[in-house]
Amino acid sequence: MSTTYTERVAGSATRDFVSEYAQVLSIATFFIVCLVFFGAMTDVFLSATNLLNVVRQAAPILVVAVAMTMVITTAGIDLSVGSQVAFVNALAAITISAGVPWPVAIVLMLGVGALIGGVQGWFVSYQGIPAFIVTLAGLSIYRGAALLLTEGYSIPIRGADGFLWLGRGTLLGVPVPALIAILVVIAGFVVMWRTPYGRQIIACGSNFEAARRVGMPARRVVSSVYVLAGVASALAALLLAARLGSGSSNAAQGFELQVIAGVVLGGTSLMGGKTSMIGTVLGTLTIAVIGNGLILMHVSPFFTQIVTGVIILVAIWMNTRLFTGTWKIGKGGVQ
Amino acid sequence: MTATDTNTRIASEGGVPPSDGTPLMSLRGIRKTFGSHQALRGVDLDIFAGECVGLIGDNAAGKSTLSKIIAGTHIPDGGRILLGDEPVSFQSPADARARHIEMVYQDLSLCDHIDVVGNLFLGREMTKGPFLDQERMIKQAEEMLARLEIRIPRLTAKVEKLSGGQRQAIAIARAASFEPDILIMDEPTSALAVAEVEAVLELINRVKERGVGVILVTHRMQDLFRVCDRIAVMYEGTKVAERRTEETNLQELVDLIVGKGGH
Repeated sequence: MSTTYTERVAGSATRDFVSEYAQVLSIATFFIVCLVFFGAMTDVFLSATNLLNVVRQAAPILVVAVAMTMVITTAGIDLSVGSQVAFVNALAAITISAGVPWPVAIVLMLGVGALIGGVQGWFVSYQGIPAFIVTLAGLSIYRGAALLLTEGYSIPIRGADGFLWLGRGTLLGVPVPALIAILVVIAGFVVMWRTPYGRQIIACGSNFEAARRVGMPARRVVSSVYVLAGVASALAALLLAARLGSGSSNAAQGFELQVIAGVVLGGTSLMGGKTSMIGTVLGTLTIAVIGNGLILMHVSPFFTQIVTGVIILVAIWMNTRLFTGTWKIGKGGVQ
Repeated sequence: MTATDTNTRIASEGGVPPSDGTPLMSLRGIRKTFGSHQALRGVDLDIFAGECVGLIGDNAAGKSTLSKIIAGTHIPDGGRILLGDEPVSFQSPADARARHIEMVYQDLSLCDHIDVVGNLFLGREMTKGPFLDQERMIKQAEEMLARLEIRIPRLTAKVEKLSGGQRQAIAIARAASFEPDILIMDEPTSALAVAEVEAVLELINRVKERGVGVILVTHRMQDLFRVCDRIAVMYEGTKVAERRTEETNLQELVDLIVGKGGH
């Protein structure tokens, strides 16, 4: 009697694809629904001017969200980005007002951002203090430092037209801040998708001890993402200062929450390891579009925050309840 | 240093080499304390090329701690480690890996959110310029897995989607594929199905033939007699006995493990 052995056939590639990218697909769908909805409800929403304006306004958030994706991927968090933006924003205005050439000031500010991030990263990674605590302290410290520097006043930036161009100018019809944000997004995407450093970030968030055991510089990697968050915050601060033409300690209130909401809405897990740079872009833009669309619909601006909050909660609830593991295609939809 | 030269990696004729000559690695008086707990109280062990040493003992006897010290994960509080004639002190697993010591950890040490290829090449990613060379890694991964007769349907699937046996197979493939001199396996067969256990035991015999020194930590006594040349019994942080496999039997080993060996 002979026994026949047969092999399993490989599963459907489409289904593999859908289950692997379920969260990105769901936020992409939601994003498109928002575009269609606001496009139908108002005449101006889908105009090129308005869409470019949305991207210009979202640019500082987008820049920091890219770095925040990396931080959250290591299972960390950076609550201090908003305060860092305010601090560097104020410091940039003061530096340029003091007569430092603006290109030098830009380099200095990015250096300050890296330094702040480096200190936080050292506490988190080498001293083992939870990122939540370190950056919560940072949130208080840098906002306080910004207030101390400016004494609460807004500091105007004068005689630096080249600098202001960074926030207000356009290049080939596209706002400069949007271009900068797009460059940062592309860099972030490539790093996470196909570089050894991106792989190390994911490995550290997925299984820190495994990363250490295979010889990755795990501590250095974890601290480095806070440096990147610091540099990104400094860049966002410069974009804001250039757009508004002033530096203020009250800039970027609630900024960190918008950034984190965008990242989490995009499907990056707060538990670490699971990451999506495309999701971050879509999540951040979704929030920006909702804010912009509601204003164009003449809904009270106070409503915007409520709606944004509800949408974040519902979207993440749907992601965790509906799209995790049990996602089925072609068999009566969602289980 | 003769025993550690690379040419000893070539398969030796005639099966089990004798346990004389210079060991690949010698441990002398290894001690390790965690807080007030004396995990290891002075352990000696020699590892020879082309030989498999079974490390057995009850839970908390110190088997895993000893194997992790060899792999550089733990740093010993006392004692000496010699690679050939050269004293070494590993400060991290990377140091041990650089000296061709690989370990399959009991918890497998895989990253769930990274695909199969990425896990196989974790920590030694192939690059093309500044980027990961995914195509070359997939090609080599296919060869690695085929050599070990491990079947994984989709190499770009995330490891979290795989079964326990497949995960264990990946952990083993990762350690065995990069020409180790010493391969440590901590409970490599615990989550495996029958055919997979056979494959792992065959694999151990094959890497032994290539001149690799293997340390096998296991609770499965039947596996010991299939692959080990020597068996070291640990008890309460010490090595209480060491036997050549052909000179011992299951009953004696069980007695040694539970502490009846002294009577």
